[in-house]
Amino acid sequence: MITRLLRRLITGAATIACVYTLTFVMVVSIPGNPFQTGERNMPPEAEQALRARYHMDNNWLYFWEFLLGAIRLDFGPTFTYNEWTCNQVIAASLPVSVIVGSLAIATALLLGIPLGVLSAIRKGKLTDHLGLILVVLCISIPTFVTGSLLLILFGVYLELAPIGGWGTLSHLPLPVITLSLPFVAYIARLTRMGMLDTLGSEFLRTAYAKGLPQRMVIWKHAFKPAFLPVLSYLGPATAQAVTGSFVVEKLFGIPGIGQHFVNAALNRDPGLMMSTVLVFATLLVAFNIVVDLLYSWVDPRIIEAV
Amino acid sequence: MRKAGAIFLLALVVVSVATLPWSLQWYNVQELDTAIRHPPSLAPAVAMARFRQTSEPSSVSSKLAYAATSWFGHDDLGRSVFYRLMPGFLLSLLVGLSAALMAVGIGVTWGAVAGLAGGRVDMALMRIVDVLYGLPYILMVILLKFAITRPLTAWFGGHTRIADLVVLLLAIGGVSWLTMARVIRGQVLSLKSQAFVDAARAAGARPTRILLRHLLPNLVGPTIVYATLAVPQAILQESFLSFLGLGVQAPTPSLGRLAADGVYAINTFVGYWWLIAFPCGTLVLTLLALNLIGDWLRDRFDPKTPYPSPVVGRGK
Amino acid sequence: MFGRIVAGCLAVVAIELCVVGLRGRSDRADFTYVNPSGIHTLDPARMSWTQDFRVALNIWEGLTTWHPQTTEPIAGAALFPPEISADRLTYRFVLREDARWSNGDRVTSEDFIRGWRRGMEPGTAADYTFLFTDHIAGADAYVRWRRECVSALTTGGDIEAVFDGCAGEMEKRFARVGVRAEDDRTLVVSLTRPCPYFLDLTAFPSFLPCHPSVELLRERHRGTPINAQGLVVYDPQWTKPDYHRSGYPGLTTNGPYCLEEWTFKRRARLTANPHFRDVAKIACKTVDMLEYENVSASLLAYESGRVDLLTDLSVPYDHEIARLARSGERPDFHSCVLLATYFLNFNCTSPTVAGRDNPFVDARVRRAFTLALDRDQIVDKVRRRGDRAAKSFVPPRSIPAYEPPEGLAQNAAEARRLLVEAGFSNGRELPTVELLYVPNDERMCQAMARMWEEALGVRVELRSQESKTFAEEKARQRFMIARGNWYADYNDPTTFLNCLVTDNGNNDSGYTNPRYDELLASANNAEDSAARAALLRRAEAIVVEEDCPILPILHYTETVAIQPYVSGLHANPRLWFPFRHVSVQR
Repeated sequence: MITRLLRRLITGAATIACVYTLTFVMVVSIPGNPFQTGERNMPPEAEQALRARYHMDNNWLYFWEFLLGAIRLDFGPTFTYNEWTCNQVIAASLPVSVIVGSLAIATALLLGIPLGVLSAIRKGKLTDHLGLILVVLCISIPTFVTGSLLLILFGVYLELAPIGGWGTLSHLPLPVITLSLPFVAYIARLTRMGMLDTLGSEFLRTAYAKGLPQRMVIWKHAFKPAFLPVLSYLGPATAQAVTGSFVVEKLFGIPGIGQHFVNAALNRDPGLMMSTVLVFATLLVAFNIVVDLLYSWVDPRIIEAV
Repeated sequence: MRKAGAIFLLALVVVSVATLPWSLQWYNVQELDTAIRHPPSLAPAVAMARFRQTSEPSSVSSKLAYAATSWFGHDDLGRSVFYRLMPGFLLSLLVGLSAALMAVGIGVTWGAVAGLAGGRVDMALMRIVDVLYGLPYILMVILLKFAITRPLTAWFGGHTRIADLVVLLLAIGGVSWLTMARVIRGQVLSLKSQAFVDAARAAGARPTRILLRHLLPNLVGPTIVYATLAVPQAILQESFLSFLGLGVQAPTPSLGRLAADGVYAINTFVGYWWLIAFPCGTLVLTLLALNLIGDWLRDRFDPKTPYPSPVVGRGK
Repeated sequence: MFGRIVAGCLAVVAIELCVVGLRGRSDRADFTYVNPSGIHTLDPARMSWTQDFRVALNIWEGLTTWHPQTTEPIAGAALFPPEISADRLTYRFVLREDARWSNGDRVTSEDFIRGWRRGMEPGTAADYTFLFTDHIAGADAYVRWRRECVSALTTGGDIEAVFDGCAGEMEKRFARVGVRAEDDRTLVVSLTRPCPYFLDLTAFPSFLPCHPSVELLRERHRGTPINAQGLVVYDPQWTKPDYHRSGYPGLTTNGPYCLEEWTFKRRARLTANPHFRDVAKIACKTVDMLEYENVSASLLAYESGRVDLLTDLSVPYDHEIARLARSGERPDFHSCVLLATYFLNFNCTSPTVAGRDNPFVDARVRRAFTLALDRDQIVDKVRRRGDRAAKSFVPPRSIPAYEPPEGLAQNAAEARRLLVEAGFSNGRELPTVELLYVPNDERMCQAMARMWEEALGVRVELRSQESKTFAEEKARQRFMIARGNWYADYNDPTTFLNCLVTDNGNNDSGYTNPRYDELLASANNAEDSAARAALLRRAEAIVVEEDCPILPILHYTETVAIQPYVSGLHANPRLWFPFRHVSVQR
């Protein structure tokens, strides 16, 4: 077990290194001047001088310098925000995204699983169809539409929530709900699918034959193997939720990290680009290892997952 | 109910294709004087003379087509929402279905091979999936656009619109298979350790036979669920890219673009509801229909689902 | 199993609610305003956005400032008006007795020289270095020499010798620049040519002073005042109030306010500078600048009274806002007519663009496209923000004593005739024309493309690129028509007209006309303002009526929202809001 874990950690580190290298190659091959913030053209000597100062004129040197800095957890300067370093940007925005993202996943699990199980049990009946309509609504209406609608309804007309911003408890519900809706849809559908698969299985008949009540059969016995597809989905989904969503952050004015992914690419900011990618890759690898460990716990027959 | 889904989708596709000769000409006919932000009405708000410039003047079919101009209202530049929605729907459907196809084709193969082979092969394949998932998406799209748009345009004989569409399909489909691969691999791992696979192996079946005969049918469930969920995700991703300036080029319409353009209708000041209601409504109904069809497919082909409902009324 | 999942989720929820809920709340400031895009930089030498100017000019004070209503230059840290020599080439500024930094130090003329020098140094990579090189005697030579030093150091050779040479020569070279501290309180500036708007310039952020404590954060290589690449560079975090590396005391400023707190992407708080001369008259002692990324959310916050001033109302339904402002239904919405123009650049030099023939090298084709466009429709029907349709580059009725030429009125028949004259018997013969723009201009560009298609029969292809790719394509001249805009830097027509001079850094169209350059050069040396205005008008007429390298579309109008209980702020073309004059009666 420990050796398997160690092996996963080593391969995880290799994955992160791979992601770093590929991202670096992309960052240096893409055209665009990262130093120009306004609309005025920057004289080419100025750009050249700045590149020299930040050691960006020599790609090899920059590669190693940034990597060594990253290992020391020092990600260097960002050109999108003149006065801040990447460390400060990430330190300010990552906790916010983690809070919103994890609350969204928790909400999605608490809402999606019962929805999926209920749809599976009452398959073909009204509950199932309503569940399907709900799921489709969650996933097909774009996030900026649902978010805007919720903002208008709860922020303006009912005045129950503040209109965007961050800092108090009341700023949480709307963005968390908006962010969780697509995840609810996926989790509900996957649970339903898993439950339908399991509900027809042999071992359930044994359970029924033993005379166990239906509730116990469903929740104690059928659910565990049905949860597996949801588990596979949770790894990348949590990583994605926790690193924020550009649309939700823009709509609700949340100072999260999702916008920095997009802005770093749009501004061709190498330091911010690579530091956010490293953060995301690390979270992804970590969550995947956790999920694979949980695989074995949920279904003891799967020893190969790790 | 399931049949209703299939029938609706078919009807929508038929109408879109049938109106194509007109919508391809009329989707960008702007009328800044009379029809700007015109609410839906039965009578057309744009004079026939406007359309006369772009297609044959008078035939029965043209007159019929003209009658439908203002049914869904007009947008900011006086263009008919109806004649933008129809080709937009087809384009989005194309994008979504190709993404789903790529997801199924690449994702299922990748995940099944990884799960079945196990060991080093499994590890290598899954790490590649991890690496691709970790790469920054927007940066990749920008780089992709920069690198291949001009060569593709030349290859397509100067038709930039087609080149843009191909780049978009690559950008969206290229990442749609990652989650599918991961889920399928998990399923295969779980199935692999079940009794019937051991039985097949004991009977001396070759690995490919195991894959095809025994495993694939059991993968129908998650495949269909993910494929049907991949379509809306692709369409919304396209709308996100358009929002950033990386998607379909204006004035080409698509459901995502129409929704993104119309979202400002949700505010407390002005009420141009038709700009957001029709695109979003079409999106919702289309995806509902696709999901119902997916359900039906699953019921037909998944061996695990018996007819009728599995929970027999015992011990309620 | 599900029970465990529920328990886990609820535990996560509970922990996070605690984390968020236990954070303290901050009190409301006397005056709150919103900056949607956030502060890009607070370094006065590097800034180029109006939102940054707004903060900088409230916490620093230059030799002059702008009047809150007319934006004419008025007294700042120096006595006004300064002594101007008879040939109008030498300005002698005497600083006020009571000009103080926020830590009590006296403001000296050396502080101004330090600030101005930062604007000239290549290491700062300032957008506005040209303001110094164009106007101050000897600045151009100094900047050129410094740039040569820097490129010599990056191209190899005997680095050590070059480096020592640069470091040693620097002060001698700078002494030749026309800015000199006669004594602690007197600053003497020598100009290259008479500049009627120089006092307007001295209020501009590039000309702000810089506190000596910043020298603690200078990058030094082997004890010299330059770094290893030969650049004069300071730690970019010197503009933060709480940065204390190397004993730095934090940002020190000399304006009516000082920066007390600046949190990333959340808020900046200004408090009244206790050493400012008129601090007793400042009614709003604390000012909050909030960052609301979503402009609609900031408008909703304004409506609910949480915010006192909104300078950016570019919500998607902004036409409704503009209408409310114009009709007077909302007296708290004010329309500001800006000194700024949105226009299209034609590529006047490249014969082919991306393999296609570029028809715009011919001025007749450019004129045809200009005549075929209905700018009133674009302004009234498409954009609907109350902008003014533009037929000239410089906005009319905005710069005193200067009226731009008439320009070309819409005339589709004449446009088609010009195309025939240029050798294309109908629009179909023209190669497909590309229009390059950024996503913000979507609607306008779609409408313009359609107008050309219908009036001229030409095929127009739209190319929308995100801003960095757009900037790259524009700089490399890989476009046929590209959008552009220009905000005036100072109150004079040359701020616009200089853009079209041959080889000017901002001349995107590649236009070159020796007659035009000559007219502008002679305007610089003109005797009186009337003659000067006439020369400039003639130059502009060449550009907007004959050669048409650019196609002016509209002059911007911004709507700002000022709560009715706020007094002391006025709508003005610079969107200049000095908070020291504000009083709030809620």
